Amino acid sequence: MRLRSRFRLTPAWTPYVLILPFLLLFLVFNLFPLLFSLFLAFHSWEPTSGLTAMQFVGFDNFGFALGDEWFWKSLRNTLWMALASGVPQHLVAIPLACFVHSALRRGRDWVVGAFFLPYITSTVAIAILFSALFSTDYGLINLGLQGLRHLPLIGAAFPAEPVDWMGRPEYIKPAISLVVFWRYLGFNMVLYLAALQTIPGDLYEAARLDGAGPLRQFWFITLPSLKPMIFFAVTLSVIGGLQLFEEPFILTGGRGGSDQAGMSTAIYLYRMAFDFNDFGAASAMSWLLFFLVAALTALTNRAFRARGPAS
Amino acid sequence: MGQVSLRGIRKSYGTVDVIKGVDLEVQDGEFMVFVGPSGCGKSTTLRMIAGLESITAGELWIDGDRANQMRPSDRGTAMVFQSYALYPHMTVAENMGFALRMAGVAKPERARQVGRAAEILRITELLARFPRELSGGQRQRVAIGRAIVRKPRVFLFDEPLSNLDASLRVDMRIELTRLHAELGATMIYVTHDQVEAMTMGDRIALFHQGRIAQLGAPLELYNRPATEFVASFLGAPRINLIDRPGAAAPAAHQALWQRLASAAGGSVQRLGVRPEHLQVLPSGEGVPATIVLAEHLGDCSILHVRVDGIGSLLNVKVASTGARGSSGEAIGLAVEGGAVLAFDAQQGRVA
Ligand SMILES: Nc1ncnc2c1ncn2[C@@H]1O[C@H](COP(=O)(O)OP(=O)(O)OP(=O)(O)O)[C@@H](O)[C@H]1O
Ligand SMILES: [Mg+2]
Repeated sequence: MRLRSRFRLTPAWTPYVLILPFLLLFLVFNLFPLLFSLFLAFHSWEPTSGLTAMQFVGFDNFGFALGDEWFWKSLRNTLWMALASGVPQHLVAIPLACFVHSALRRGRDWVVGAFFLPYITSTVAIAILFSALFSTDYGLINLGLQGLRHLPLIGAAFPAEPVDWMGRPEYIKPAISLVVFWRYLGFNMVLYLAALQTIPGDLYEAARLDGAGPLRQFWFITLPSLKPMIFFAVTLSVIGGLQLFEEPFILTGGRGGSDQAGMSTAIYLYRMAFDFNDFGAASAMSWLLFFLVAALTALTNRAFRARGPAS
Repeated sequence: MGQVSLRGIRKSYGTVDVIKGVDLEVQDGEFMVFVGPSGCGKSTTLRMIAGLESITAGELWIDGDRANQMRPSDRGTAMVFQSYALYPHMTVAENMGFALRMAGVAKPERARQVGRAAEILRITELLARFPRELSGGQRQRVAIGRAIVRKPRVFLFDEPLSNLDASLRVDMRIELTRLHAELGATMIYVTHDQVEAMTMGDRIALFHQGRIAQLGAPLELYNRPATEFVASFLGAPRINLIDRPGAAAPAAHQALWQRLASAAGGSVQRLGVRPEHLQVLPSGEGVPATIVLAEHLGDCSILHVRVDGIGSLLNVKVASTGARGSSGEAIGLAVEGGAVLAFDAQQGRVA
């Protein structure tokens, strides 16, 4: 009996024991890589030569990254695609959520589910699907464009030849952005839908009595009430957009596409490490990217800071 | 001007009839109170006047204009919600000036009118604050201020004080009465609260199951209720209703009926006597009864009393200086003359 009770979990220890599995995983897979990459950023290291081959090089890796033309190009690509996929996500998701919220009663869960589906679908499946859609000769998108060309008046605005979406540098970024937009639209819509459901209905009634029509109700009631959620969703978009990796990686076959037009910073630093074997430079770049993400998140925070005193 | 006429107003949700024909003339400048039990349709009627609910049948006239299809903002009405419904992201001043802004009134003029309304309600120092920085009572004032700024001909209140604590409620009740005198506008006021209904209204419309059970001045409803329902709804504690005793009823029941029924004719099925009209005598005098529970409120005491043969307990309200009374004590009951209401089998009042 006495032996048993010595091994019994006391209430004081229980929380620590219960949190231990998470803590171990976090230490091994999150905290250690984080610190190790910080360490690596100041070293030059060829992993094939073993751990002893590390050499302290100070800020050389950062200097190299900042002087690297391709690094800057990857940053420009990333910003381009983050904006082109991120901004429309919110501009479309908010009105869409409002529509679903106010107009749909029955079948609403199905519609929401349909929009949410891309978010939980594997990136590989999405990439295969869009590779087929974007295909130059057989893709549905080109077939559609060709069909539109036969329209009177506006038909001439559409391209005469099938578009080589993934082959021509000028089309790669729009194509990738479209996929990213499509993928996260439903996710944002669900966020906004949740926020819409918390707005008290009597605010709209009061606004109606005060003489505000549907548009002004949207502008003066809905939008300000959504502001905290817009801040949250935009922050997620900023972070996710700057770390853009999976979609361009798979759509461009892991190389960034012709002329590196689809090479995001995350792809570039991945290649820097695993294709070019320069882990020091890759780590330095990942920390530079982190500072950029942090700075832009801080900017977002500032832009959305609540008016008046903090709540 | 602020005259509201409801003519045969009905409201149905699908097949459910909620308002079953309401006719009501609210005079210009009148303070009209809607009371009634929960779910009887007070809010629905008020919201139809405001334009927040469509009118299924019947006509609504405001100052001689048919208002059934009018937009809410064109009706000359302003509503104060139970939940206040202040716009959380706007300051008090912006909240109060929102309707003017929607109407295209220029900023300086808006500020002037908001300032004036704030003075009336003594909330000038709150104008720059946000709703979350206000107490419940202050929010209520702002909500009223928002209504005042619109200069409505008719104010609509839906239980505006029910979220306030008791003492604040008393203050606001007096304040609203003062406001009514000051503005001279018509007010329609929904409440659950007996005291508000009795003290604030020029007239009371007592709702019951989607109809107006009785319409009239507060004391008229209290003293001459049209039906048993009206009699038992108004007055706290509730009026005592005593059934006509059968031939085999206990002696105490018979005796009480005899004392009450001096005026009652043959059609009378039930008698009502208000708690303040019953008197407590020493045991052995009057109708024999037993105290089951005594509530001493300081200024008065409420005794819950059992009389042999009567199903429910009788409420007796006595001044505190009178019989002290404790549970289990045997007493006698007497009735003050002339204060008995008599109802027939259809629950209508006959005397
Ligand atoms: N949208 C609706 N659909 C169906 N029935 C409704 C709807 N709104 C209200 N009702 C019904 O109409 C009746 C009257 O409701 P109303 O809100 O007017 O009552 P009330 O007198 O204001 O009650 P309370 O004192 O509890 O506020 C209720 O029985 C309610 O169930
Ligand atoms: Mg109500």
